[in-house]
Amino acid sequence: MSLSSLQKRLTQIWAFVFKNWIMTKRNVFSLFEILFWPVVGFFSVGLLTDFLKLNPEMSGFILVGIIAMSVIQVCQIDVAYVLLYDLWSKSIKHTFIAPVHLFDLISGAWLIGIIRSFIVFLLLSFFSHLAFGFDFLRPGVVHLSLFLFGLFLTSVIVGMSVCILLLLFGYKADVAAWSLTSLMSLICGIYYPISILPFPLREIARGIPLTYFLEYFRSFYGFGPEINHVLIYGFGLTFVYLIPEAFLLKRVLNRARRIGTLIKLSE
Amino acid sequence: MLNFHLENSPFRNIILKTMKFAIEAEGISKTFRSGWLGKKRKEALKNIGLQIEEGEIFGILGPNGEGKTTLLSILSTLLLPDRGKVRILGIDVLQNGHQVREKVNISSGNANFLWSLTVKENLHFYGMLYGLKGKRREEKVEGLIELFDLNEHRDVPFDRLSTGMKQRLSLAKSLLNDPEILFLDEPTVGLDPDVSVRIREKILSIHKRGKMTILLTTHNMREAEFLCQRLAFLKRGEILTTGTPSDLKRMVRIGDLLKIRYKGKISEDGLLHAEGVVNFSISEGFCEIVVDDAEKRLGTLMALLSQGGTRIEKVTLGQTDLEDVFIEFAKETDSDMGFCI
Repeated sequence: MSLSSLQKRLTQIWAFVFKNWIMTKRNVFSLFEILFWPVVGFFSVGLLTDFLKLNPEMSGFILVGIIAMSVIQVCQIDVAYVLLYDLWSKSIKHTFIAPVHLFDLISGAWLIGIIRSFIVFLLLSFFSHLAFGFDFLRPGVVHLSLFLFGLFLTSVIVGMSVCILLLLFGYKADVAAWSLTSLMSLICGIYYPISILPFPLREIARGIPLTYFLEYFRSFYGFGPEINHVLIYGFGLTFVYLIPEAFLLKRVLNRARRIGTLIKLSE
Repeated sequence: MLNFHLENSPFRNIILKTMKFAIEAEGISKTFRSGWLGKKRKEALKNIGLQIEEGEIFGILGPNGEGKTTLLSILSTLLLPDRGKVRILGIDVLQNGHQVREKVNISSGNANFLWSLTVKENLHFYGMLYGLKGKRREEKVEGLIELFDLNEHRDVPFDRLSTGMKQRLSLAKSLLNDPEILFLDEPTVGLDPDVSVRIREKILSIHKRGKMTILLTTHNMREAEFLCQRLAFLKRGEILTTGTPSDLKRMVRIGDLLKIRYKGKISEDGLLHAEGVVNFSISEGFCEIVVDDAEKRLGTLMALLSQGGTRIEKVTLGQTDLEDVFIEFAKETDSDMGFCI
């Protein structure tokens, strides 16, 4: 790739950062997404742990889960927004008549998602320290960074799944942007270890990278992982999802061009 | 220009081989499926063939819902055909869609863009999608804001713009990448007449400046006549005919209308056998004659009408436009049209 085409690709990626950033700035609802819902959810669960008189380790177990979930929710929705905003504005054909690659679209949106969810993470870790005495930095910056990177990768997997559903089913699929993470919270051990899940759900949980990233980070707070090398499993599984998803996204875009979805969604 | 006469010329194939086309389409068909398991089928395009020269303004005419937007969408890479070949500037759309997208752009009537972004932000966003960066993008955006008189509205969010402003923004956006081919889908639909006129003038001036190829769809005859060098009439997914606006008028035997006030007597027999007279009606002191070409026939006609001492008091050339052609083409019974489909 020549320098000029690299610069061009970077500009195209930046276009989606620019778009999501401006839309976030202008949309009160998206400020709620960063500041209101995660904070309300965090304090509700945190106060519940106080009421149940859980010991600091158990409280920490739950707080790690709720913060991880908030980070994923905010980051994945930014990836989904890259198509949702176009869908809601009926402007999707203008995006896809331009010479953009799906990689540019997803990575630009992911970048702004990382920024937004990192703000959420900083905010919630500050509150967790202040209100519940929980120290997120105990594992050290390297382990914390690996944990967060795992969450960001999980988010892009979820966000891309939403984009695939949007290109397949149009407006009907926008509910997926909010429901996929809720489904994950049920089976990935956000509030409880996956060992308490019934057999089939436990096996499904083992197939989701988030399960391993949570086990990895909780191991620094006295909860030994059920299997060794959780980080390798986590990142390995992430790529097992990402590569076929990238191909699938390309296929569904091609299908959308074939059956006229791009036109219908722009009318 | 590839005109009607060339299309009927015996040398057509030889000439076509030496010509450079901006758009070439051959045997395009498209069927949309809907309902349970896609059992409902609508054949939107049937075996469409088109050849559009570089620098030409070509119009696709036809009633609503007859396949105009579908055809435009296929040519602009937004939709893939079921069958057929499309080459844009010599590039195969099915094989190299991405490469084609670098060289084309689209503007649609009832334009929609990101609602929260202002005029300027929308232009910057789409400019970035075409890889424009830094000062070059800034200059391009400012130039287009100036060209389309959007300066006063540059910081107004898209959802607060009037329909006319939205349309201007749509045209401005379509020029961001200096496209070699510009697709305009019903560019003045839903606009007030005065705004429509200004948009059409703007389209003509863009064409003159950039010498780009423009393919537009419309069901507005005046627009087609004002803008297009050649037209294709699309009905029920098929191209019924192509030609210049005057070719189409000639095909449906609609010519120039002469309104004549006279004193004396006019012979019906004479008019019946006069060359170039398509139709006529005579009443007391007034007659209307439709001729194929008023300029060419006027002298002979005046001489004919003045025979026997008839005094011609006033001759006016009435308006006949593509509206009549459209009505003829859009008629339900194709055999009424008086030409070979």
